[in-house]
Amino acid sequence: MMFRQRERRKVPGLNTTSTADISFMLLILFLVASSMDLDKGIARQLPPMEKEQKQQTAVDGRKVIRLAIDANNKVTMDGKNVSMKDIRQRTEQFVNANGKSHLIQLQTDRKASYDTYLHVQNALVAAYNAVRNSKASDLFGKSFDLCSTEQQQQIADEVPIRVSEVYAVSANKPTTTEKGGAE
Amino acid sequence: MSFYRGRNHEIPALNTASLPDLIFSILFFFMLVVHMRKTTVHVKYQVPTATELSRLVNKSSVQYIYVGYPMNEKGEAISKNIVIQLNDKITTIPAIKNYLLHLSASLPPEDRKALSVSIKADRRADMGTILDIKQMLREANVLNVNFSATMSHSIKY
Repeated sequence: MMFRQRERRKVPGLNTTSTADISFMLLILFLVASSMDLDKGIARQLPPMEKEQKQQTAVDGRKVIRLAIDANNKVTMDGKNVSMKDIRQRTEQFVNANGKSHLIQLQTDRKASYDTYLHVQNALVAAYNAVRNSKASDLFGKSFDLCSTEQQQQIADEVPIRVSEVYAVSANKPTTTEKGGAE
Repeated sequence: MSFYRGRNHEIPALNTASLPDLIFSILFFFMLVVHMRKTTVHVKYQVPTATELSRLVNKSSVQYIYVGYPMNEKGEAISKNIVIQLNDKITTIPAIKNYLLHLSASLPPEDRKALSVSIKADRRADMGTILDIKQMLREANVLNVNFSATMSHSIKY
């Protein structure tokens, strides 16, 4: 009787001291094997190959902005030197004034730096976003990002992104035209 | 005398029973927030800064192109020549077209439309390389491009 009672009392607790070490190891494995970089960038739409020549004809010469980046990373708009701020403001005015029928032509030298090119692209996207946002708040009373997909489509139809890129593909081939970013 | 000795004996052990729970919650946090690295990048690059950024959508159908300087295991640039890495190996520009054509031929049509490319290029890269890559993407009929950039708070328009 005495013997049995003593045996029932002693149930040893599970030793969980090493669980912390195990979970630490899992944690370190995940820290090493994964990365946290947030993939963000400027989204562009390239023009398909076969439609190269079509859109040139429909555009009035007065409704074209000619942007050029030369080999020394100087940006010119219709022949005059401009800053990124000028590009953004003048593009915004221009798109507002001309609506659907405008065209922005961007010519990039092959020796120009990618940094300059992306800053010009960024200024253009900023200008378009500003126009679309003001349109969205006029029509729907909220910013472009908050509109529904149909509303965004309607605004995108009214303010299309018409950026055409002219460049020499390589030294011996003729130039091709690219119309970018109609989403 | 016997009173003091009795007090010295018992120092209670630190209770670490909840430590595993703590670590597990950190672990779960990390598992939710991060994504696994799929490729080893052999190219050293620093993306440009911009303000008008949008997120990459539909990450499973994104192909990555890295443009930058080749680097060794220690992460030091070993050459001044620009190289191009497509997903996990270093290739040449014409090879991009063949790779993408093979890839899109093996996909069903609805996935083919969603196929997109993220270009992570060094800010010092020359436009000739970028333009050639863009031309190859057009020839391969992969038209969604995302130029990777980091958010800048200093650019003001």
